[in-house]
Amino acid sequence: MKTETAIASATPLKKNQFSKKIKKQKTLVFMSIPFIIYVFIFNYLPLSGWLMAFQKYRPGKALLKQEWAGLFQFRLLFQDETFLRVLRNTLCMSLINLILGFITAIGLAILLNEVKSMFGKKLVQTISYLPHFLSWIIVCGIIVDVLSPETGIINQLLLKMNIIDAPINFFAEAKYFWGIVGISNIWKETGWNSIIYLSAITAISPELYEAASIDGANRLQKIRHIVLPGLKSTIFILLIMNIGNILNAGFEVQYILGNGLIQKVSQTIDIYVLKYGISMNNFSLATAAGIFKSVISILLIVIANKAAKAAGEEQLF
Amino acid sequence: MVKKWGKVVSVIMATTMLAMCFTGCSKKKDSKTTTADGQKIREYSLFVATAGKEVPDDNRMYQKITEKIGAKAKVTWLTGQTDKERVGVMIAGNEYPDMIVGSNATPDLVAAGALIDLKDKLDNYPNLKNFRSTEEWNMVEGACDGHIYYIPIFGKSNGESMIVKQNDEAFWIQKRVLEWANWPDVKTLDQYFDLIQSYLAANPTDADGQENIGYEILCDDWRWFCLENVSQFLAGYPNDGAAIVDPVTKKAKNYDDIPEAKAFYTKLNEMYNAGIIDPETFTMSYDQYIAKLSSGRVLGMVDQGWQFNDAVTSLVSQGKDDCTYVPLDLTIEEGVATKYFTPASLNVGDGIAITTACKDVDGALQFLNDLLDPEVITMRTWGEEGVDYMVDDDGMFYRTEEQRENAKDADWVNQNLASTIYSYLPNYSSGLLFDGKNAVSPAEQPSEFREGLSEYDKKVLDAYGYEKWTDFLDYTEDIGPWYPIYSAKNTWESSSEAAIAAQKMEEVKREWLPKVIMASTSDFESTWTKYMDKYHNDTNYKVFEDALSEAVAERIAIAEGKN
Amino acid sequence: MERQEKRHAPHYKMSFGSILFDVIKWLILIVFVIVTLYPVVNTLAVSFNDGLDTIKGGIYLLPRKFSMQNYLTVLRKDSLRIATMVTIARTVIGTITQLFVTAMLAYIVSRKEFVLRKFLTIIYVLTMYVNAGLIPGYLLIKNLGLLNSFWVYIVPGMVSAFNMIVIRTFMNGIPDSLAESAEVDGAGHMRIFMQIMLPLCKPVLATVALFIAVGQWNSWFDAMLYNSFNENLTTLQYELMKLLSSVSSQSGNVDALKNTGSMVTPMSVRAATTIVTAIPIVCLYPFLQRYFVSGLTIGGVKE
Repeated sequence: MKTETAIASATPLKKNQFSKKIKKQKTLVFMSIPFIIYVFIFNYLPLSGWLMAFQKYRPGKALLKQEWAGLFQFRLLFQDETFLRVLRNTLCMSLINLILGFITAIGLAILLNEVKSMFGKKLVQTISYLPHFLSWIIVCGIIVDVLSPETGIINQLLLKMNIIDAPINFFAEAKYFWGIVGISNIWKETGWNSIIYLSAITAISPELYEAASIDGANRLQKIRHIVLPGLKSTIFILLIMNIGNILNAGFEVQYILGNGLIQKVSQTIDIYVLKYGISMNNFSLATAAGIFKSVISILLIVIANKAAKAAGEEQLF
Repeated sequence: MVKKWGKVVSVIMATTMLAMCFTGCSKKKDSKTTTADGQKIREYSLFVATAGKEVPDDNRMYQKITEKIGAKAKVTWLTGQTDKERVGVMIAGNEYPDMIVGSNATPDLVAAGALIDLKDKLDNYPNLKNFRSTEEWNMVEGACDGHIYYIPIFGKSNGESMIVKQNDEAFWIQKRVLEWANWPDVKTLDQYFDLIQSYLAANPTDADGQENIGYEILCDDWRWFCLENVSQFLAGYPNDGAAIVDPVTKKAKNYDDIPEAKAFYTKLNEMYNAGIIDPETFTMSYDQYIAKLSSGRVLGMVDQGWQFNDAVTSLVSQGKDDCTYVPLDLTIEEGVATKYFTPASLNVGDGIAITTACKDVDGALQFLNDLLDPEVITMRTWGEEGVDYMVDDDGMFYRTEEQRENAKDADWVNQNLASTIYSYLPNYSSGLLFDGKNAVSPAEQPSEFREGLSEYDKKVLDAYGYEKWTDFLDYTEDIGPWYPIYSAKNTWESSSEAAIAAQKMEEVKREWLPKVIMASTSDFESTWTKYMDKYHNDTNYKVFEDALSEAVAERIAIAEGKN
Repeated sequence: MERQEKRHAPHYKMSFGSILFDVIKWLILIVFVIVTLYPVVNTLAVSFNDGLDTIKGGIYLLPRKFSMQNYLTVLRKDSLRIATMVTIARTVIGTITQLFVTAMLAYIVSRKEFVLRKFLTIIYVLTMYVNAGLIPGYLLIKNLGLLNSFWVYIVPGMVSAFNMIVIRTFMNGIPDSLAESAEVDGAGHMRIFMQIMLPLCKPVLATVALFIAVGQWNSWFDAMLYNSFNENLTTLQYELMKLLSSVSSQSGNVDALKNTGSMVTPMSVRAATTIVTAIPIVCLYPFLQRYFVSGLTIGGVKE
């Protein structure tokens, strides 16, 4: 693929071919124009609202007539160690979610691909994505029940197997929290996230399997040498995109499952902004936090994209 | 291929046509658009910035009232956003409904000039004008620089309050515990926990063999006041919520480091170590709390009465009347006057307002005025004579057994009564109707209240010689004009020092109060000291107190008409 | 298609390793299925259980006190019919238009020789990471005249950067030779896109269609924000959100609501609404599923 592009741009083309190219590009340029206008109107024009981050915004006045506040909101945001703590929590939970999420979703897709019975495959796949439709409040309610020291099944199992002698109050100790959030995410989203990999697997040509069979490859070898390489571009693209989302560790799970005893590990940036910002009508603070997240995200995807390029993998842009 | 695209296009066309139908044509077919005498019914849109009950358009009393007064409000409630976000968007977009209840965002609406000044118009609408006393109107004006932008809705009793149930905060104890101890008077914190402790020792399990739980402390999210603000009551102050206010110096003081706070948390620590308090209590969700209460196992807790209504309904439906609760107003030492039970306060920071988008301001005011017509008030709370209630020869209202059952059925109420649809429009919340004999609210009609009691509940009240549940508490009207001071917090800029201090104080308390209670007995003192150090050093509590003191002074000035 | 499916099913020798592999595979899948099925079954059980009984807790796999009340409460809601119609309309129109438009953009940026390729990709990718916020977004919609209009459900979400990247990645895997041979035959970009790329991208288009449809079906925020005063434009999820917050609010204002007990509780209504809204999606699923589960092959020209 790469070489082709290189050839296209490097080799001087014959005149008739060149003009053909321009003519072809003309259609593409023409097709692009509406997309450029569209994205400008719907995504970039409203960004003038970012000015709010440098103001003490009160609804009702025009944006340019607001009270200007310089970097006040940013100072408020980064005020003290609390922000560093929520930043740490956000990053850690995000990383846990990212890693666990990737492994489980890809693993499930590969396992499903190994299921020969079409019925079994469809059934397992259908069941696996159902929890996606449950809201966090329902899922968290179930998690709290399952982990309850008094009636929860996990504690009862651990007690019966003599792994512990007294029930664990999972939500009273900080060390369990990130793990619980990570597992909750897998529980809810693995099936849903695997859909995209399943569809990518379908694009792998059956001839490759046949050739491998002839070469005497076993099933693990086929997964390693055919399926995973076939998924590589999808994995890389999703990885780069998700790295850009690293500051969005979620809000609802942590909000519902957190409590005073473990707030030091449970609060994320979004919760912080809610506590100090929106609940007291500070649109400016929320905007400042949004800008901070955008800047970090864009930095991260640029770096990740560069890394992918250096490694010769599929790039985002 | 071409055929396939044709199919896609036709699907799009068909659905588009369908969509056009919604956008373009069809005005709702529902309820009539004219009154009996052929007048057109005026309709006003009303947005209430709080979550509320949706009532079907064909609700019987909603339609009857509409017909009677020739006007109605189409109510939309807040969904899925905070009041400030939603109203903030309305203000930014300059798109308002005809009428609005802004909740916490009311000051923003005033600041944006979105509300009509009603000051000069009110004289034409006597029912509205009389809904508030001259003093009260002065306070409203004081809060809005001499204008009346909104009419406060709640906390208006027509004459003396007749409230029968404690809806606010109190210590609660199960009736079976009182019965077991032969109906004692419980006045202090020590007596309360002694009673629970001895009951638990004698009855580790209940009739069904479930283990009893001595005491629960709900602290899920914003409901954590059950843990946090109890000290103010123990010290004899009302529920100012953010701080206690000295009635002499008029200064606000936090209630976290007062002696009563230490005494309270010492007691809780002792009880936690004695196994009286549920070990799960600090990590429990609200749903789990309600589940535990509904099982009838929980002997006592601090809570606001409305917060565990569902659990009580559930207990009654299981026939466990003895596991429902009575309120207690405890103090540390005996003989301290308490302020758990106080009249509803006038909140001058919020109310029903008419916006600049309303094309018929007088019509809207007439509508609100008509809703306060004596006959309409009866329709709003009691319903329809002969259908929802009966009248005896002395003009006293009563309900038949069937009518009483209907009124208990939430679904039936939702279809038939208008008690919820206009719940955020001005109405008397307690006291007597204008006939001077019947209670505004059926639940507070003495005969109705007594009839509605179960045999067990009658026994409980008779044992104490009380008529209603609120008799368990001392009533006082002695609350300052600043009450409740916590509402002042809503007006602080989020970036102000005081707001940040409040947030910090909350963080420290949320973390340390459970730690203090869960500390081993020998560690209690040192943990308490650590907590206090953290509180005094890490939070700007002085700034917080000063800001509240300022608010107190302001409110006093407004009440005295000096503003 | 039948033929292709068969062809794809990998043929394995039944060695010991292969059997062990199968055993482990099924063990994992069965545990996984049980674990993921539990919350769903639990929600079903709660949705069919009496509301007041549910708040006592302890409902696991089966309802304890059977009741249809939760569903009656949900289904009896006034505006449900019109909301369902609007939701179906927005889901169908929204999915088809977004799929088509996004796929077209994906096609454009998958043309490797195209000069604006990188520029277009970047300006769309960035939209995933910048967000103007609530108020600027609202003002844009207002200024475009989309308030109180059905089109606010369609137009602002017409292109999704994420889905565009997903489709583009798939298109990148399709051998260039296909498009090139069409070009040699004199086909323009529109024709290559419509007649060659779209059919080849079926698996990914089915996936993306599912993403879009679920998003459209479940969305309520736009209905609340832009159309809440127009009851003819309400959506299913918004109505159900309103119902839920209405049930949850019974303890809200004491003055207003002190006389009535409730028969439904937030927990049980939430369960019933979840089931009610998930069912149509679950029904639609098999139609899309066959495209990305059964393994279509690209076929045609080999790389």
